[in-house]
Amino acid sequence: MTAPLIELGKLTKRYGSITALADVDATIDGNIIGLLGPNGAGKSTLLKCLLGLIPYEGDARVLGLHAATSGSEIRDRVGYMPEQESFLTGMSAVELCTYAGELSGLPRSEAMQRAHAALYYAGLEEKRYQPIDSYSTGMKQRVKLAQALVHDPEILFLDEPTNGLDPRSRDEMLELIADLPARRNCAIVLSTHLLPDVERVCDHAVIMHHGRVRFAGSIDELRGARGGDRELVVEVKAHAQQLADVLATAGASCEVTSAVTLEVDLPESATSELVFRNAREAGIQVRGLGVRRETVEAAFLRVIGDS
Amino acid sequence: MTELEGPGFSPETGTTEAPVGAIHDLGYKRYLGTRRDPRTRWRVIAREQVASAWKFWWRFKAAFGLAAIITAIAGGMMLFTSDRKSSLGRAQGFAMQLIDTTLPESIIWFCRAGFVVSLTIGATVVASDVQSGAFTFYFARSVKPHHYVIGKLAGMCALLALILVAGPLVIAGLRLGVSDDVDQLVDLLPILWKTLVIGGVATLAYAAVPLGFSALMPNRRNALALWAAYYLVFGAMVYELGKVSSGSLAALDLPRAVQTITYALFDLNFRSRDAQIPVAAAVASLAGHVVVAVALVSYQVRRAQRTGVGGAS
Repeated sequence: MTAPLIELGKLTKRYGSITALADVDATIDGNIIGLLGPNGAGKSTLLKCLLGLIPYEGDARVLGLHAATSGSEIRDRVGYMPEQESFLTGMSAVELCTYAGELSGLPRSEAMQRAHAALYYAGLEEKRYQPIDSYSTGMKQRVKLAQALVHDPEILFLDEPTNGLDPRSRDEMLELIADLPARRNCAIVLSTHLLPDVERVCDHAVIMHHGRVRFAGSIDELRGARGGDRELVVEVKAHAQQLADVLATAGASCEVTSAVTLEVDLPESATSELVFRNAREAGIQVRGLGVRRETVEAAFLRVIGDS
Repeated sequence: MTELEGPGFSPETGTTEAPVGAIHDLGYKRYLGTRRDPRTRWRVIAREQVASAWKFWWRFKAAFGLAAIITAIAGGMMLFTSDRKSSLGRAQGFAMQLIDTTLPESIIWFCRAGFVVSLTIGATVVASDVQSGAFTFYFARSVKPHHYVIGKLAGMCALLALILVAGPLVIAGLRLGVSDDVDQLVDLLPILWKTLVIGGVATLAYAAVPLGFSALMPNRRNALALWAAYYLVFGAMVYELGKVSSGSLAALDLPRAVQTITYALFDLNFRSRDAQIPVAAAVASLAGHVVVAVALVSYQVRRAQRTGVGGAS
């Protein structure tokens, strides 16, 4: 049985009188995990604790290793892509990635080989010998990803990886991130403020607020946590308003969102059968029916708001 | 298919064209080999320090060339003016000739070449890494603050040793080579260890002290200016003050402190116009400079480790 990626038990971190993390308990697992929270939620502090960089109270384990005592070993097995620029002046991408690999314990020849592979993977194969100082923002983001990958990590911490990217570069970066778990067999912890990014690539989410974990689970659980199967979205061939009126008399509350779609909140104990029966009686053809789920953004605001 | 002929390789053009947005890989395999012992990671940092210095001519090669010129001039003086009396010999009651004073006299010139290296590399090391965000790069890995400090210090020492140890050793070798006979050669052999000692001391001082100054400022230009002002202006001031007051004060001038130890090792007296610096003061000054500088770098690097990673998210 393999250990969960991250386990937190009563994790507490105080800076003087300020409590950055307060009795955090969570088990975090998944392929791509979105780490969400407003500024000051404790994400950075959690990250520092997990990398074994700062002392803390309680328990924090990464890949089954105690962060307090095995920080070095954890950092050899984890890759970190920082939000801010963290390059060495005058270096080319291939030199930086080779150096990163060596600092993570790889022999020089192995580090060099993997640096080329990581840069090729990140889409920088033609530019890898140019000084990083001359790179565009998008290319620098790719170098940051490559240097985090070069030592073959089992978990990647990505801090705002799509910050400052144009839409096309953002799409490409998200494509790379989504591809990583399958291709490189590594899990990803994606810290971001861009909730559409999380919606697009993450399968799990951790939401932090005021130094506590407010939610830890799958994205489906997060988005479906509100109303279960009683909140539906219905697509009809035509006459959405007519169906809404019929369903309203049956006790459902409806909102027509277009000429052919409506959102339906069923009354308690009712099932989707109510929709089909009323549509049949009204002579309206139902073309699609699904459980209505919140967007990640709405779910995030709800979780934060609940607190 | 070779490694270079990865996805996107065009046989017509012979080039690899990366399709925009496509994900491509050279073939990934999980690394199962052993990893370098974390305690030896400082060597990687030291090697990188040397490699990056060697990459640009103005960083190290210019100073190295200057050291080579100093060595050549000193060697030439030894070979062609061996009978001339040294001006320094006057302070010893005309007991010494130029051939015997060239080596100790050349040390201060090698210090000047060392100072050039401190300007182009040493005085900006930590400030440069602060400015570029490199500490996040280092400490997100299994690099500890002391690995960084030892690595940078060792790298600087390796570079400076090429100037402050190798140069004087060549001159010492020449001096042995122009000995009149075997007896004189044997008598002169101790100059080798004396040269090694003084070269080692100067190397450590010229590596550590600028590094300390580079940790004082978060901006490399400011760090550089501060170090240059300390070395040139403050050094000159304390030396002049040392002439008219206590000689110990003049020991705060780094090159003069090195020169004092050199003279002591080679049994030379200062000229009457020079500040008379006690050897103990020179040793204390150099040791103090080095200890304070290393402590300062260690403190700043430790601080950077705790605040650097994840700081902006």
